[in-house]
Amino acid sequence: MSTTEVTDGTLIERVAARQREAFEELYGRYARPVLGLALRRLGDRGRAEDSVQEVFAAVWRSAPSYDRTRGPGGAWLYTIARNAIVDAQRRRPAPTMADPPEVVSTSATPDEEAEVSWNAWRVHRALETLPEHERVVIDLAYFSGLSQSEIAGFLQIPLGTVKTRTRSGLARLADVLEGEL
Amino acid sequence: MTDRDISFDEIVDGADPERIRLQAIHDLLLAAGAPPELPPSLEAAPPEPRAGVIAFPRRRYTTITVVAAAATVLFGVGYAIGGRDAPQKPVQTIAMRGAAGATASIALLPRDAAGNWPMTVEVSGLAVLPDGETYTLWLTHDGKLAESCGTFAVAAGTTKVPLNAPYPLKQFDGWVVVRTGTTQPFLLQTGAA
Repeated sequence: MSTTEVTDGTLIERVAARQREAFEELYGRYARPVLGLALRRLGDRGRAEDSVQEVFAAVWRSAPSYDRTRGPGGAWLYTIARNAIVDAQRRRPAPTMADPPEVVSTSATPDEEAEVSWNAWRVHRALETLPEHERVVIDLAYFSGLSQSEIAGFLQIPLGTVKTRTRSGLARLADVLEGEL
Repeated sequence: MTDRDISFDEIVDGADPERIRLQAIHDLLLAAGAPPELPPSLEAAPPEPRAGVIAFPRRRYTTITVVAAAATVLFGVGYAIGGRDAPQKPVQTIAMRGAAGATASIALLPRDAAGNWPMTVEVSGLAVLPDGETYTLWLTHDGKLAESCGTFAVAAGTTKVPLNAPYPLKQFDGWVVVRTGTTQPFLLQTGAA
């Protein structure tokens, strides 16, 4: 996270004051982590997408209850999201699908699953803070499975530049995650 | 993500003083997996919800009933006229990225009864090829081209083209666009499958 970026907690306080711009900024930061959490929890793309809107409706309603002395904004938002997704899961049990486009395995224990979900949430949120040139090489290395040489060929940039950007991206992610959003 | 191991040693030098710290992030990235791409319907923040539910006064019930009945009739007429041609909502959107800022978005539509996954592919920034030459969209498995979903040509700017994947998608782990007849990738999937 850059030092000039408004913190999540400040944004939540502005949402509590009904500032639409703050709500949109918060949405930009957290829409993908929320969708990831919902996918992991619900295992169905359509229901997960529906629940994203419900989560942000809950954020809007609950923002006045946020107290920055009790923890960072990201953790508060995670709790709101998790609760809204659980509520959605209870209201609309999963339908039977013959061939869903995505299947999420949940063989872990509930505690393990909770930890995995929390870590994925933090990582996905932290990825949103990377500059585009670092985000691209991290995406290609970790989520498209390309080697550093293949990335260099694909992006048509020197191998040294790929290595520098990848390392810099990892270091930036470490800074963000250690700063706990 | 592919099944191929991602070598941390290839990314961070053995003598790097921050190696242990970066290894932790490397492990977290692998465990977290790719964040999902947002579908077009979720790209913008939703409107803020209303503060509360306001009950209609009883004296309006007759009016409401008449309006609801009229709306039902209009909906039925509208559906009969054009409902069957209404655009379907994508079940998944796959983002792709290439060199020099080229991008693509695959809007995967619901599977039909025959097992087809129709899709709309929107491509921007790919080089315009000589006449008669095309690009091909492939499904991949273990880093190799597996099944073709069709070929297309592009014009300058943005090209939108309907394609189809008549396969069980669970068998595959990625998408790639190559120049037809080659295996060189021009666009690779960047988000979650």
